[in-house]
Parts: sequence; structure tokens; C-alpha cells
Amino acid sequence: MIHLKKLNPLDDATLEELGFTWHTDEDGSKYVSDALVQISSEQAEAYYTATNEIYDMYVEAAEYVIENELFFDLGIPFNLVDAIKKSWENDVHWHIYGRFDLAGGIDGEQIKLIEFNADTPTGLFETALLQWALLKHNNMDEDSQFNNVYEAISNNFKRLITLFDELETFDERYDNWKILFSSIAGNDEEEATTKLLQQMATDAGFNTSFEYLENTHFDEDGIYDADENKYEYWFKLYPWEDIAHDEPELATTLTNIMDSQEAIILNPAYTLLFQSKGMLKILYDLFPDSPYLLQTSFEPLQGVKQVEKAVFGREGANTKIIGSDGTTIEQTDGPYDNYKKVYQKYVDFPKDSNGDKYQAGVFFAYEACGMSFRKGGEVMDNMSKFVGHVIV
Amino acid sequence: MKNISSLASGVALGSAGIMMMSVLSGCSAQQQEAQNRFVVIEQQANGKYIVIEEMPTDGPSRAIIREKDENGNTVERFMNEAEMKALAEQEYQKVQNGTSETVQDNGGSAGMGLAGTILAVAAGSLLGNMIGNALMNNKNFSKNATSSNKSAYSRSAASRASKTSSKKSFFGSSSKTASSRSYGS
Repeated sequence: MIHLKKLNPLDDATLEELGFTWHTDEDGSKYVSDALVQISSEQAEAYYTATNEIYDMYVEAAEYVIENELFFDLGIPFNLVDAIKKSWENDVHWHIYGRFDLAGGIDGEQIKLIEFNADTPTGLFETALLQWALLKHNNMDEDSQFNNVYEAISNNFKRLITLFDELETFDERYDNWKILFSSIAGNDEEEATTKLLQQMATDAGFNTSFEYLENTHFDEDGIYDADENKYEYWFKLYPWEDIAHDEPELATTLTNIMDSQEAIILNPAYTLLFQSKGMLKILYDLFPDSPYLLQTSFEPLQGVKQVEKAVFGREGANTKIIGSDGTTIEQTDGPYDNYKKVYQKYVDFPKDSNGDKYQAGVFFAYEACGMSFRKGGEVMDNMSKFVGHVIV
Repeated sequence: MKNISSLASGVALGSAGIMMMSVLSGCSAQQQEAQNRFVVIEQQANGKYIVIEEMPTDGPSRAIIREKDENGNTVERFMNEAEMKALAEQEYQKVQNGTSETVQDNGGSAGMGLAGTILAVAAGSLLGNMIGNALMNNKNFSKNATSSNKSAYSRSAASRASKTSSKKSFFGSSSKTASSRSYGS
């Protein structure tokens, strides 16, 4: 059972002043819960350990996919295969951050991997800043949260320069290379998330700028803002698979830019491998004994309750829960139906006293660095609520 | 909890933390003034102060001062614009009679007293641009101001070259912004 601690909520005006404008969902309900999930330090530690081990498995599985050319199996668009391989070959294509969605971890239930949002995870502002602000606003101990997200991502930006060496070498090695941050115009949440990442990079010591995707310019020689300033790094909060499908010419240009080392694109193209839910099947094949993995297949599982997901589905769209007798129990529609499907053994999420379900989201930036929860029904969708946590 | 780091204070949130603490403490501002600064000033082991974070703000200037108490614990206090201005004015008096450390040649060692540090980081916004510019034209003041400021903001002010060429744009016809939270999964 999930135990909650009720809080004095932050009012909408204060949230907006903090830069958090997406506090109310389309149906008028509040997106941020006025309670925190209470977890023990042992439970937090278990989420930390699980996330680090799962990431290591992802790295091994990606190596396996690349060696065995399994891109088609994962639903990877053909026009990004070169970019994925190139980004994988060189450590300068550093993975800045991702978020693992996990079931279990409460009441002694085994932690299980639901999926990995490796390319364009959101929920960052809420986890790094908002749940901390809730502690502060309620005069609670700021140490009692597994939340080092801001500093960890800021440090991971430094590793673009230092790689596996000491972070202290950043200042002597950094030569004023610039990072351009881009998100699509007209979406507050994505813009605030991107600008938060920009702030983390600025704090790390980078020279940074922001430009909307629509105003960012590209040619074979590089990536430019609207004023034609060229950048050594480009962070895009925009899915790689959408670039592949909707902007195929750009996919080619970006591959050439990487090839000629004119710019480094973040998150790297190989995060599209991680992002594919097809990896859940590869992971299960490679590590069948891992306690963190659910049985997953490209074919429907026989005689077990399971979840059908599109390999590049997002926000719980195009998800189907199938009973052990093969009947559909619940399903969501959405724009991802054309993607290949995977079938993952069903696992129940921890519940609170109202029967609401909780999915843990653990951020990863070189190591697990912080967590928060989403509260919802059977499928965690776009209407699920953000719930912070406190270690008691 | 050997592995899990948590936030010891808002300052671990870098420049985002300054903004957050400012809003949550009710010190954020309604009126608009240009060039003002949020700053975090930290006392060093030698007792001198250094600016560790700095960011421009539309509101009044304000500062978080991190100091060591008698037990060696780090304590933080908030300073509003009026308090900063009082200290800056007091230090500026010393500049005028030649006794301020901000205009002394201190041999390149970083850090100054609190009033000097505040004057160095925000003279223009607290006392007006004329005084700020006049101070920055003083070689020692300019050197001391730079060596007392370790913030990313002051380090990253870089000039931009401009050139023209024909580059392609994309994403012009994107229609993926319908939902309020779209790419996070």
C-alpha cells in the first residue's frame, strides 16, 4: 500500500512564478498532487540500484543489437541506422539524461522495468525542482528526498568535455564550445523542460543559447540559430523517430553533420535504440534471470495477462491490456498504431487506499539521480498526475 | 543511504535554486527593473566572500548569503535590495575616500568583504549606471570584481560573430503540439 503525506499545495500563481505553467490538466483537474509518497531509505536505495543495473543491461543489449543488425526488429527507421551506429562508436555522443518507468518497489514487491524514456523524457521540472519546492514550502527536511537531478544532469553536461575523467578537468579542457537548445514553439512544458536543461548546462559552465526548432537552421556544415551563429552541440527535445519520419531530409543532414564532426546532437541517436520498447524483448532474451525484467515478446504471450505496446508509443497511447484468455480488458487509442507491437507480461502497480496506481519514474544521468511518481489508472496516460516523494 | 544524494539546500539547484528560493520566500518582485541580479555569495574559509551564482532578473536585486556559523555549519540568509543597497552605499563611501578594498590592488587574491563583493557584482543596478561604469573604469575595481565572481553567468558572456549564408529550416509544418504534455511518454 502506498502511504501518502498530505501537504499545503503551492497555489497556481506561485507555480507560474516558478515557471511551471502546466499545472492544470485539460479536464480542469490539478496535475500536481497535494500529497507526497512516503518511502523508506531502503526503498529509495533499491530504486537506485535497480536503475543502475537496468541501464548497464541496456548498454549491453544495445551493443548486441548493433553487432547483430537488429534495427528492423526494434522498428528503427532505416534512415537513422547510420546515425545510431556513428553515435554509438564515439563517447563524445554522451547520453545526458533519461527516465526509467518502474513498477513495484513498495511493500516488498520486486521492482520491474516498464520502459525507458531515453530520448526526450519530460517530468524533469517536476522531479528536479517542484517536489523539492513542495518540501521547502511545507517546512520539511530538504535532505529527505532522493533528488540530485539538477546537479547530476549539470555534471553530466560537463562530461561532454571530460568524458570518464574527473569533472574538475572541465575548466581546463573547455574551449567555449556552445550548446544550442531547441524545442517546438507553442508548447510550454517542452519549452520549460528544454530551458531547464539549458540552465543546468549554463551552470556547468557552458556557453548556451535557445532557439525554437522552427527557427533552427541546418546545412552540411553545421547547425545554426536564427542569427546564423554556429553551435558545436545541439540539444533537441524532439523525438528522433519523428525526425526520421516527418523530416527525412533532416535525418540525412544530421547524419552527415555527425560524420564530418561539425556538431554533436543530444540526446544521441543511439538513445532511439533504448527508447524502442522492442529492447524490452532483447533485454529479456539476454538477461532472462534478471529480477527487474518482465517477460516480453514480439508475439502475443500464451496464457498470461499481458500489455500490448507500440515500440515508439508515448504517454500510454495505443496500449492494450489483454487477459490471460486473450480478451482485451482495456485499451487506449492514439497516433502510434502503425508501429510494431511488443507484448509485455502484466504487472500491477502499487496502489494507495483509493485504489489509484503509482508508477515510479527514476531519472538517470550517468547514474540514478532522483525519482518521483505518476498516479493514474490501469494505463499511465497523459492525464496521470505527478506525485513527489519524501523519505521517512 | 550511502549512494543516494539529496539536496542539502536550494543552492544545489544552481541558478534555478536562486529563483525558486526567491519565489518561495516571498521575496520575488512585482515591479520591473532592468539589469538587476539574483546572486549567491559564499563566505570562503579565509572569511572573504565570493559570488558563486549570478543571474539577471526582472525583479529587484536580491542575494542569498552563505556563511559559516561559530560551529562551522553553513547557514544561509536572504538579503533584499534595500539591504544590499545600504551595504553598497557604505562601501562606495569608502571608495570615495580611498579606503575601499574594491579599489586596492590586492595582489590577485580572490574574494573581498561582503559589502565590497556586493558593490563589485551589482554597483550599476544598486547605485546607478553612472557609478557602476565609473567603478568598472577603475583598473583595480574591475580586476577585483572579476576575481570575486565565479558564477557561470559572468564566465559565459561571450561575443557572437555574425555571418550570412542560406541554411535550411525544418519543422515548419509540424502539428505535434496539440496535447499539453506530448513527448514525455
